[in-house]
Amino acid sequence: MTSAHATTGLGEIERGAGRIDVGDKAMINARADVNQLLPLKYGWAWEKYLAGCTNHWMPTEVSMHADIALWKSRDGLTDDERLMLKRNLGFFATAESLVANNIVLAVYRHITNPECRQYLLRQAFEEAVHTHTFQYICTSLGLDEGELFNAYREIPSIAEKDAWALQYTRTLEDPEFATGGPERDQAFLRDLIAFYVIFEGMWFYTGFAQILSLGRRNKMVGIAEQYQYILRDESIHLNFGIDCINQITLENPHLWGAEFRQEVRSMLARACELEVAYGRDTMPRGILGLNAELCEQYMHFITNRRCAQLGLEPLYPAVDNPFPWMSEAMDLKKEKNFFETRVTEYQSAATLTWD
Amino acid sequence: MTRSPTAPPLSVAEPGGSRRPLDWQRVRTVVAQACTGLSDVDPDAVLQEVARAVYDGISPAELAEALTMSARALVESEPNYSLVTARLLLDELRREALSAVSGRPRQADQVQMRAHYPGYFADYVRRGVALGRLDPELARFDLDRLGAALDAERDTAFDFLGLRTLYDRYLLRDGEVRFELPQAFFMRVAMGLALREDDREARAIEFYDLLSTFDFMCSTPTLFNAGTTRPQLSSCFLTTVDDDLTGIFHGISNNAMLSKYAGGLGNDWTPVRGTGAHIAGTGGSSQGVVPFLKIANDTAVAVNQGGKRKGAACAYLETWHIDVEEFLDLRKNTGDDRRRTHDMNTANWVPDEFLRRVEADGTWTLFSPDEVGDLHELFGAEFAERYRHYEAAAERGEIRVFRQVRAVDLWRRMLTALFETGHPWITFKDPCNIRSPQRHAGVVHSSNLCTEITLNTSADEVAVCNLGSINLARHTTAEGLDADRLRRTTRTAVRMLDNVIDVNFYTIPEARAANLRHRPIGLGLMGFADALFAQRIPMDSQEAVEFADRSAERISHHAIEASCELAAERGRYESFAGSLWSRGILPIDSLRMLAEERGDADFDHSSTMDWSGLRERVRTTGMRNSNVLAIAPTATISNICGVGQSIEPLYRNLYVKSNMSGDFTAINADLVRELKRLGLWDAEMVRDLKVFDGELGPIERIPDELKRLCATAFEIDPHWLVAAAARRQKWLDQAQSLNLYLARPDGRALDALYRAAWRSGLKTTYYLRSTSATHVEKSTLRGTDGRLNAVSPAACTVDDSDCEVCQ
Repeated sequence: MTSAHATTGLGEIERGAGRIDVGDKAMINARADVNQLLPLKYGWAWEKYLAGCTNHWMPTEVSMHADIALWKSRDGLTDDERLMLKRNLGFFATAESLVANNIVLAVYRHITNPECRQYLLRQAFEEAVHTHTFQYICTSLGLDEGELFNAYREIPSIAEKDAWALQYTRTLEDPEFATGGPERDQAFLRDLIAFYVIFEGMWFYTGFAQILSLGRRNKMVGIAEQYQYILRDESIHLNFGIDCINQITLENPHLWGAEFRQEVRSMLARACELEVAYGRDTMPRGILGLNAELCEQYMHFITNRRCAQLGLEPLYPAVDNPFPWMSEAMDLKKEKNFFETRVTEYQSAATLTWD
Repeated sequence: MTRSPTAPPLSVAEPGGSRRPLDWQRVRTVVAQACTGLSDVDPDAVLQEVARAVYDGISPAELAEALTMSARALVESEPNYSLVTARLLLDELRREALSAVSGRPRQADQVQMRAHYPGYFADYVRRGVALGRLDPELARFDLDRLGAALDAERDTAFDFLGLRTLYDRYLLRDGEVRFELPQAFFMRVAMGLALREDDREARAIEFYDLLSTFDFMCSTPTLFNAGTTRPQLSSCFLTTVDDDLTGIFHGISNNAMLSKYAGGLGNDWTPVRGTGAHIAGTGGSSQGVVPFLKIANDTAVAVNQGGKRKGAACAYLETWHIDVEEFLDLRKNTGDDRRRTHDMNTANWVPDEFLRRVEADGTWTLFSPDEVGDLHELFGAEFAERYRHYEAAAERGEIRVFRQVRAVDLWRRMLTALFETGHPWITFKDPCNIRSPQRHAGVVHSSNLCTEITLNTSADEVAVCNLGSINLARHTTAEGLDADRLRRTTRTAVRMLDNVIDVNFYTIPEARAANLRHRPIGLGLMGFADALFAQRIPMDSQEAVEFADRSAERISHHAIEASCELAAERGRYESFAGSLWSRGILPIDSLRMLAEERGDADFDHSSTMDWSGLRERVRTTGMRNSNVLAIAPTATISNICGVGQSIEPLYRNLYVKSNMSGDFTAINADLVRELKRLGLWDAEMVRDLKVFDGELGPIERIPDELKRLCATAFEIDPHWLVAAAARRQKWLDQAQSLNLYLARPDGRALDALYRAAWRSGLKTTYYLRSTSATHVEKSTLRGTDGRLNAVSPAACTVDDSDCEVCQ
């Protein structure tokens, strides 16, 4: 077991210690100094950090004019659409904070690799931008702040999800907790799976589908655009998490035995059930083009994908995405009419080289 | 579980609250009719999607929406579903418009419509006049003759995006209810432009035929407003802002008035003094031009073009303005938001002298215009001389506000901002002025919102331009250009554009004064990429450059000839005397003037038509219009016509067009046809197109020749686009909206590209498009999207050929 100071990087400086050997760098329980970024070991983590930076955006760039007009109009949205929207926002308003807290207070100190930490710092900031987005939506539309931000304590299906995920982060939050030893390392993996694969990789997706479904009918287009930005960020978060998990299990194959793999599958199965329940809660009746049944099928599709990304057997019979229109909303490159909307494809120029 | 399309126990809730069972029989009939006669479309596939989308208690309007939503989701696998979707929408539109005009519920299918159209048309005109929407003069046309000229079949020529665009924004409404059908819409525009013709029915039919066949399309403001009681038909306005508060707020007030009726704005802000300049009235110093730009930005947001689209303005600043560095940052998403203009476009107005300093790695001096006011009025050698004079004065301490920078540093900052935010665009002051036919009558101080208009502005004159675009795809076959058809179209188009000037409603007096005096028009083109494909010419080839040259030459020749003939028929424009035209200098000749100014320029001067005869006719007979040719972006009208935008390369072979009406899947139908012919169009191919973002390069099965023909904007070396544009520019008395594309962030490539654009004599460039850094997870693929993960799972137990994690 490594000392707690070695993993935080805040211990006494080992004066005169030798330069680090890249072979000593590791995802967890590393011997190498965590304060030295170079030499890089995990190019993929650095690449994701750069990608996150080039994708920088702020919610205030997106105009809410059309959304405000529609939200305030008497019959612009059906009652069911309004309910769905409020519960959707209610989940996300605190979800991004929970994810951020998990990164900062639980994950960060146990990841002993500086390039991964670099990405975590970037990700933590992006979670702040996302929380800012829900603040911006809430104040722009004049929604009830308490209704939105307290939803995770008032709406049972949201509370169920959040409570389930929090049990995994609570283990890590214990000041006495440190990785090292299979049981503790597996506890750490469980947290990564609960937050990266499940929270960000499964539970956000019903929410994305709901908002994009309104967006494709040209409703709440400002929020839909913001969700597209969030989705772009979350795509990297999720895949960073999966890369981390796979890297840890590659380096520590003993952690990824048949029994543990089966446990992870059960976690995903339980998470899928919780999400299906949330789908019913947000859409007790139908909405044009969307209903709880389709969302259930969609969640099976997503869960199978996450299984595959972790090298696990699928949990459900093979299904297609029941929302073929998502191709238009998410998969295909967009060419925006500059007269009418802001072009979002631009990226940070930090990547330009002149000589 | 998916509900079976056969017997779902659903009810429809009428607006009053009563319920009736959903009539599946009718849904099936409507969908089947929409699929009739189209290959490779399956009504059951649509019905299956409908069954998923509907719910118990759905409203009738949502049910209609469910049909189009369901059909359009299938477009990516078969382009013909776009036509199916359009027909479903057309059915809804016919119900809406026929009922509105007759005052009782009516419905007609496509076959019945052939008989109904003339009668509907007469009712429509009367109804429109009664509602106060149509010019009462329209009712005095021979409506039977016009009604008989309508071709109902042309309603089915739209793809979904085209019809949806009309449906959402162009067709006239009474409140929320549309009462205008597409053929009535085209005829209304035609009549509006024929109001002052002698045989106005014959002319209206001539104009109608051009529009309804998509041979030519008027600009959006003309389509919105022609024939109505408020015919503001102009697309573009250019203004210059004076350097005092009265002038600045008059300029902003003008912006508001011009935006209200759907015009785009180009504002020249160079005259406004910069940061630190002295203010005589208060003895204080100025905060510069940026705070005023913020007001202009917010004005554009507040006034939203009659609710039909967002107000749109572009601020221009000349490169020596002391505030130019802050100007470059106006669109950044960081920094003080009070000094940002997220909604307004920006453009650099770059003098040749600046680029010469960049090439020589020299210094560049920034000034405040209140101390160097005449610089903005000068161009060419005179500018360079005067600029050096002011630099010397600054050295001697005779100028209060100035700053020296390394020219290359500023140039790189300009390119960096362009790369990062798409703004400010880069436009070249000297070629715009040196080649301006109207250089005897003033100075071009800026271009416009789309960088294709180059007209003089002054305190008394707001430049106006009326635009229209020839659909080159409709004039090109595998054998090349259809010269006769192109000549006919061009002549009628010029007549229509000239008519705009006289029937136009002017919101501000400065615009009316300028337009009636100079009568500029801007005839452009669209469907260039389609025309190349028809001839199987790849965009990145010498043949394409040659075709750009020859097609522009032909359009230019016919357009100048048409304006000259109109001068004989209707008289010359007022400020003709002294113009380049009057001196026998046509656009191809003014290119030599630019070459002389530039000294070492190496332009192509080739021509293939009889220009000497035309030159002489223009000199002696005169011109009806000070300017004739400008190539606009055609962002929306190309969608109506279902062809590629303007002179743009193919964006991608499968992508989404995103606009005010929402997102629309666009798939290259020409490619799909070819792939079907080769037996390569299958689910795997759709998947590959998605995975590779609509680029064919990485798809091994596709033959190389087809890959090159369907190369996308990001796959083509952008220097080919510059080369083609340079050859086109020979023939244009104004400019062209030229977008450039950069696939990878590379400063050196960016630098080389924009220097090449300048050297090749281009007057302007438009957006620089790059592509976002990362991809989102592809949501609709089977299996996983392996491109996003770098680390494969340790112990993979997956036996699934769709899984890409390890590939």
